[in-house]
Amino acid sequence: MPTSPRKSSTKNNSNDTELVQAIQSGRIDLYQELVSRYERKLYNFGLRMCRNASDAEDLVQDTFLNVFKYLKGFRHEAKFKNWLYKIAASACIKKRRRLKYAPDQTLSLEDFLPGDEAEVAREIPRWTTIPLDQLLNEELAEVLSDTIHTLPEKYRIVAILRDVEGFSTAETAKILDITPANVKVRLHRARLFLRDKLKNYFEHDHNYPST
Amino acid sequence: MITTTHPHNARCLDLFKKLSEYIDQELDAATCRQIEQHVKNCPPCQACLETLKTTAGLCHRIEEAPVPTGLSDRLKKMINELTV
Repeated sequence: MPTSPRKSSTKNNSNDTELVQAIQSGRIDLYQELVSRYERKLYNFGLRMCRNASDAEDLVQDTFLNVFKYLKGFRHEAKFKNWLYKIAASACIKKRRRLKYAPDQTLSLEDFLPGDEAEVAREIPRWTTIPLDQLLNEELAEVLSDTIHTLPEKYRIVAILRDVEGFSTAETAKILDITPANVKVRLHRARLFLRDKLKNYFEHDHNYPST
Repeated sequence: MITTTHPHNARCLDLFKKLSEYIDQELDAATCRQIEQHVKNCPPCQACLETLKTTAGLCHRIEEAPVPTGLSDRLKKMINELTV
């Protein structure tokens, strides 16, 4: 069986619950603390989703404004963090629709299958054998971030929530109001898309870190 | 790097669709065993699994950018206006 890459967030959630309940019961002076807790995470979510810093800043501001507006009605049925991201994700999707971007491209699984005539590696590529912390230098981080930006939005948002932010399949499905099966399909295609770009980068452009 | 034509068959294609679920431990034990058994004898599928696993792992490790001072100031001002 593969090993789990996920960390528990139970402690953060219980801290959030106490803080949110205090604000709901009238301690609105504590709202700044809630904002400080999540402004960096949300700003980075915005940067990855929106492609530019100014839109990411607007996303953070709009999200915290909406959270303040609707916090009284939050019933703690989901974790606060998941509710926060649901508001932020919805703001992202609405903004994109307002800007009338071209419709999202669909990634087909067949595009990523090795063809009968294709030449594929019989060896494990060297880049997968290097510890991740050594492999992920500044240049690769930039390549990866740029590549995430080129994913069509419906795949990008799933890849960000699952692989960057660390939400589970079930949590991501609830945040985006889609089925868990749909999350799995989009995530697999997003990973295959990113994997192909990284493969290309390592095969053509890259000097490996010294090990 | 040594390359060859991937002699993939229906088995490869069936398991190829499930590799992300395998990485995320979302498959039952029997399917996990099938994948493990298959990749042992199929280097192209093993390469595919390892590159996919590394890709997901790299995404999980991307560092966060700091919040611009201007944004923090705007948020503080907004909160002051909301909470007075």
